[in-house]
Amino acid sequence: MAQNVFQSRNKAKPIVYHLRDVIRDRASEGVTFRLRVPSLQITQGEKIALIGESGCGKSTLLDMLAFISQPTDLAAYRFRPDIDIDAIDVARMWKKRQMNRLGDLRKRHIGYVMQTGGLLPYLTVRDNMLLSRSVLGLGDDGTVDSLARELGIARHLDKRPDTLSVGERQRVAIGRALAHEPSIVIADEPTASVDPFAAEKIMSLFIELAEHRNITVVVASHAWRHIKRLGLRRLAHHTQRSKDGRTTETVVNG
Amino acid sequence: MRLIKTLRLASRDYAHEWQMSGCFVLALAAVLGPMLVLFGLKFGIVGGMVEQLVEDPENREVRPVSSGRFDLDWFGNMARHPDVAFVVPRTRSIAATAELSSARSSRIVRSELIPSGPGEPLLPADAALPDGLNSVVLSPSAAEKLDAAPGDTISASVTRRFAGSKQRVHVELSVAGIAPVAAFARDGAFADVRLVEAFEEYRDGRAVPELGWRGDPPAAQRSYPGFRLYATSIYDVEGLRNALTEQGIEVRTKAADIELVMRMDRNLSAIYWSIAVIGLIGFSLSLGASLWANVDRKRKELSVLRLVGFRTGDIVWFPVTQAFYTGLFGWLLAVGIYVAAAYAINTMLADQLANGQQVCVLLPEHYALALAVTLGAAVLAAALAGFRSARIEPSDGLREI
Ligand SMILES: Nc1ncnc2c1ncn2[C@@H]1O[C@H](COP(=O)(O)OP(=O)(O)OP(=O)(O)O)[C@@H](O)[C@H]1O
Ligand SMILES: [Mg+2]
Repeated sequence: MAQNVFQSRNKAKPIVYHLRDVIRDRASEGVTFRLRVPSLQITQGEKIALIGESGCGKSTLLDMLAFISQPTDLAAYRFRPDIDIDAIDVARMWKKRQMNRLGDLRKRHIGYVMQTGGLLPYLTVRDNMLLSRSVLGLGDDGTVDSLARELGIARHLDKRPDTLSVGERQRVAIGRALAHEPSIVIADEPTASVDPFAAEKIMSLFIELAEHRNITVVVASHAWRHIKRLGLRRLAHHTQRSKDGRTTETVVNG
Repeated sequence: MRLIKTLRLASRDYAHEWQMSGCFVLALAAVLGPMLVLFGLKFGIVGGMVEQLVEDPENREVRPVSSGRFDLDWFGNMARHPDVAFVVPRTRSIAATAELSSARSSRIVRSELIPSGPGEPLLPADAALPDGLNSVVLSPSAAEKLDAAPGDTISASVTRRFAGSKQRVHVELSVAGIAPVAAFARDGAFADVRLVEAFEEYRDGRAVPELGWRGDPPAAQRSYPGFRLYATSIYDVEGLRNALTEQGIEVRTKAADIELVMRMDRNLSAIYWSIAVIGLIGFSLSLGASLWANVDRKRKELSVLRLVGFRTGDIVWFPVTQAFYTGLFGWLLAVGIYVAAAYAINTMLADQLANGQQVCVLLPEHYALALAVTLGAAVLAAALAGFRSARIEPSDGLREI
């Protein structure tokens, strides 16, 4: 592990995400929301925090970073999960609507932690965590067990999610996002539904695990104070509302 | 490999949600079961009616209205006619009776003699037939009165007035068999045409050398006043009647009855089919709608699968697998319901039906058809709903409330 870190320090760090003039519009009932990203670059191993009030567009941005939501318009979107491969032109894939190829990229390189839920109720905790591995054809090599130990949920491995507390479920979700050893983990307010004390604990644990594995992290949250202490880079953004309140625009740069 | 994974996940979900799955299966069977019973009744009743119509020899009989003169040439020609299954001469009806008696019974039974021969339509195909001058097949009522069983020997006697005195002859007959009730309800005996003819000759005062009965010498040219004629099938009755009418022979047939029942069959079939088609469409729609709704309910879980990297094609298999289970188990349960209902109906009506006849019947291909329609509708609806779910953005599916 130490050697890995050393190596990656020596090489020029690749830019994992490169976005230019990416726009996503959302409209309903005459109220429109627009997320605009003039420029965004995230380098490998970076820990990014997206902090903002509710409804400012955090989930919208994260979904685009995880390829589960398509930009309305974009100038450039390149993705380079690994130093050994060339940057992938994600913008082109989107234009061609190659959803399965985008899905393949996600399944290989990205772990995603949802705000709530996202666990399959009919699978045990172990099988839920193994799911992200099994779609890649990876077996159970003990990764899940050691992850579960680190997350403090080892004793729940054979239970189903509905018998777990909300905080425990979020830890399972974090475990699943890490189980297939992705190079990027995106977490959308992973601790929003637990009490502040547990939230701090889970978040620290999550960042620590990611740090250990040299994973690029993008996490959305509205609790900056705690995130700051964990040493994350805050993504600059500002939100404007039109006078009649019908259109909102958030601009993200970084 | 990915497909197997999807199938396994779908199965686990289906088992995990067993209560929900059970409800779908029940809902399906609750519609399909009664429909199978309806089909069974249609098939059993109408099918039985037509079968009875076709099989009942009475419907194939062509009777002369009045007596005529039919010679052996005529019978030969008729026997060669392709529409004729069976034809034998009939003697004068007054002459065609005999008094039967047996050693076991004190009763003397005055019985009609039915001229018969090979291919007798009133007797079952594998039954023993009267053959020659010394055997008969008794009607059940005659057999009962005589207390006679197959293999027994009985005696038949006829009387005549000849040369101013009353004379009587006896002939020993062996009982070749007992006819079914449906064949002949009164006291009677199926006898070889030659035996019936011999009795008539004797009554008319002529000699019957084969039996040693004396009298006037036999007539040079034998002719008969009537015939027993059966068409090959009920559909040939009409044609035969026309042919005979052309020969100047007026006949009575069941053509009108046949036409009536066949028209009823057509109308009843039309009604049944329209009910069936409407029912089938309704059934497919209700099944499709419930499965469609179920896929919508699962959209979030399907989106989770897409989040971890399942492809669009894999996702569609998920609801399709579950719909397949629902279709299969629902069909099994419906067949169970049908079998129980059909058994109840058939046993309830058993004593009003001929042996082996059933009111509620389905053939294996009917079960197969029901399964095919069920699975077809289920899989189609689930696949369409699955495609729809697979097409929406995963983020929208995940954030569904
Ligand atoms: N499916 C949708 N259709 C239309 N508008 C939407 C849709 N989803 C979100 N929005 C709008 O887009 C804006 C940004 O939503 P988003 O979910 O990104 O906010 P957020 O920053 O993640 O908020 P929170 O902290 O509450 O999760 C909101 O104003 C919301 O009303
Ligand atoms: Mg959000």
